Amino acid sequence: MAAPQAWFLARRTGRGFDWIVTLAQAVAACALVLALVLTGLAVVGYSPVAIVTRWACGAAGGVYPLTSSMVEACPLLLTGLAAGLTFRAGVLNIGAQGQFLVGAVTAVGLTTRWLPAAAPLVAIPLAIAAGALAGGLWALLASVLERYRAVPVVLSTILLNFVALYLIRALLHGPLQAAGTAAPQSPLIPARDWLGVLIPLSSFHWGVPAAFLVAVGFWWFNTHTTWGFETFAGGLNPAAANLAGIPVRARQFLIMFLGGGCAGLAGVFQVLGVTHFMTASFGDYGYAGIAVALLGRLNPLGIALAAIFFGLLDVGSQRVQESTLALPQGVADVVKALVILFMLLLGAYLARRHLQVTSLPEAAPPASAGAAGPPGSGN
Amino acid sequence: MSLGHESLAEFLCWQTLSAATPLMLAGIGELVGELTGVIDIGIEGLMLIGCIVAYTAAAATGQAWMGLGAAAAAGMASAALFAGVVLWGRADQIVAGAALNLLALGLSATLWSLYQNHCANLGLSTHLPRGAGYDLVAVPGLSHLPFIGPVLFDQYTLFYATLLLAVGIWWVLRFTRLGLMIRALGESPETCVACGIPVRLGRFLAALFAGGCAGAAGAFLSIMRTKAFAFDMTGGQGFMVLALVIFGRWAIGPLVLGCLFFGALNSLQQILQTTRYTLADPWMHALRSVPFEFFQMLPYVAALAALALLSRRHPGPRALGQPWPQEVA
Repeated sequence: MAAPQAWFLARRTGRGFDWIVTLAQAVAACALVLALVLTGLAVVGYSPVAIVTRWACGAAGGVYPLTSSMVEACPLLLTGLAAGLTFRAGVLNIGAQGQFLVGAVTAVGLTTRWLPAAAPLVAIPLAIAAGALAGGLWALLASVLERYRAVPVVLSTILLNFVALYLIRALLHGPLQAAGTAAPQSPLIPARDWLGVLIPLSSFHWGVPAAFLVAVGFWWFNTHTTWGFETFAGGLNPAAANLAGIPVRARQFLIMFLGGGCAGLAGVFQVLGVTHFMTASFGDYGYAGIAVALLGRLNPLGIALAAIFFGLLDVGSQRVQESTLALPQGVADVVKALVILFMLLLGAYLARRHLQVTSLPEAAPPASAGAAGPPGSGN
Repeated sequence: MSLGHESLAEFLCWQTLSAATPLMLAGIGELVGELTGVIDIGIEGLMLIGCIVAYTAAAATGQAWMGLGAAAAAGMASAALFAGVVLWGRADQIVAGAALNLLALGLSATLWSLYQNHCANLGLSTHLPRGAGYDLVAVPGLSHLPFIGPVLFDQYTLFYATLLLAVGIWWVLRFTRLGLMIRALGESPETCVACGIPVRLGRFLAALFAGGCAGAAGAFLSIMRTKAFAFDMTGGQGFMVLALVIFGRWAIGPLVLGCLFFGALNSLQQILQTTRYTLADPWMHALRSVPFEFFQMLPYVAALAALALLSRRHPGPRALGQPWPQEVA
């Protein structure tokens, strides 16, 4: 199976304000993709100007559109973390979708069936913890299969997505089904267990700022803790990290659990904060998370920005779809996919340039402390 | 029960072969691609693009072969995009494949709504016109054999083509210089360079072949088997193909056997889902209490179990998933 490529290695180190360059690159990639897609739509006969204005109004034109976009960004941010944290550690977790669903169904089960009488102060934290735990354990399943049975994580996480999908359908058809319906659908979660809304009359629940706090927490974890450094080192070069005494496998297990926990948390927040009940088709945030992670260059703060952008994109394109312009369904997905491809190309290109610069001795300043270190080791 | 099959067993066997056809076709393509060192987890997306393109092209022209050809061409075009990004852009193959899946999901939804709008504007039905879908082809003479006839010789054209392709590719890989080149590209690209074989061009052509096969497999789903299109109609079959290539340890015989096994599981699942309420067998009665979602889950769990039990660290082609050239000057 493919060894993890160091495409995330493409960060220029040792210079201040790198992040501005990185941000500019990401913005340029997004602008390029949007221009491309709008051109395509213009060819099919849509007016790009009308689409852009309607999109901007729908996504950011006022308090209510803005809060909707942020609410949409919340699950994208958490599934983006699920992908980004694990990719950074060299584990290709494509299974955020399954972890998301498992987390959501756990929260639904707890609040509607298993703990219906508990006070909200008990039920909500318990649902959040249990949902995140379920997502984390679902992700760990893939790690365990790799560790003991040599099943590639890429494949097992994808297959586990489908297992999770049919599992929640079975649950929604069986023990969690709402009374009086034939459809696979859970009952409405009691209103006292909903996440509180911070801005009146909007859907802006407190899970949204909490998700951003989680992102800041993982930024801290990555940059200021030993474990964060060790996971990154294990992702860059597992053999070297092992030689340096880092328990690479244990760190991969840890990061897989944390990543799955993030995806599970996304499911919990989505169901307790937005939908308040669950159907068999509960959103594809898990797959979009990969795009978010790559656009954010696997940096939790970048992932937060990328999630906001995709939140604006999703909500805006939905409004254009509903409007008289009748934008075809799926355009937002095309944009996301093209963004991934552009960011991949950009990352690979920068990695190559970076290697070129560091491998030429005369290009490095003499007696520089960075010259002896492996590329990308600075943080 | 359809198509005048005489017994449940006969229908089950027919259905198995029919369900295995797209898996085999896409699997053969993916196998050749992986042998040259390109792993394309976007095979699911390529199949989905094949589905929608085949459906719209066949419906628009009224010609079934146009649908099939367009699907294969669209599969190849998408694979060319993937291969370009991966081979010349040196992007990570797994993540680029995931992007391809998302792209296909979005593109197929976009195309489908454009097509629906178009039909609504002209007051047309979105159903596939008669003659635009493939019908079963009974092999003259052989299709009247007892049991074997209706099972093996009353299938869609692409079933026979896939069998021929499997034998052909097996022969190419086993006995020809081209087969040696294909395997060398994945095992030892350095040797290929020494022999004057262009590594990236070879891999590009193999990826195109994989894309064409996956597109045609998608066409099988939309204009042969179901004669309809739905958003998630591939339903993870492309991912199953990836598992099957590993499961078959990059050899064509085990791959085909694996496809047949999963075809059988899939058709068993469908039959259990549809007939468990009508059949009076006592063991069917017991199955009624099992939620049918568990039958739908069965192929995926079986794929995981098969990988867990059988993939004893067979590494696969040595350069699988690696960019070329390895060091960048």
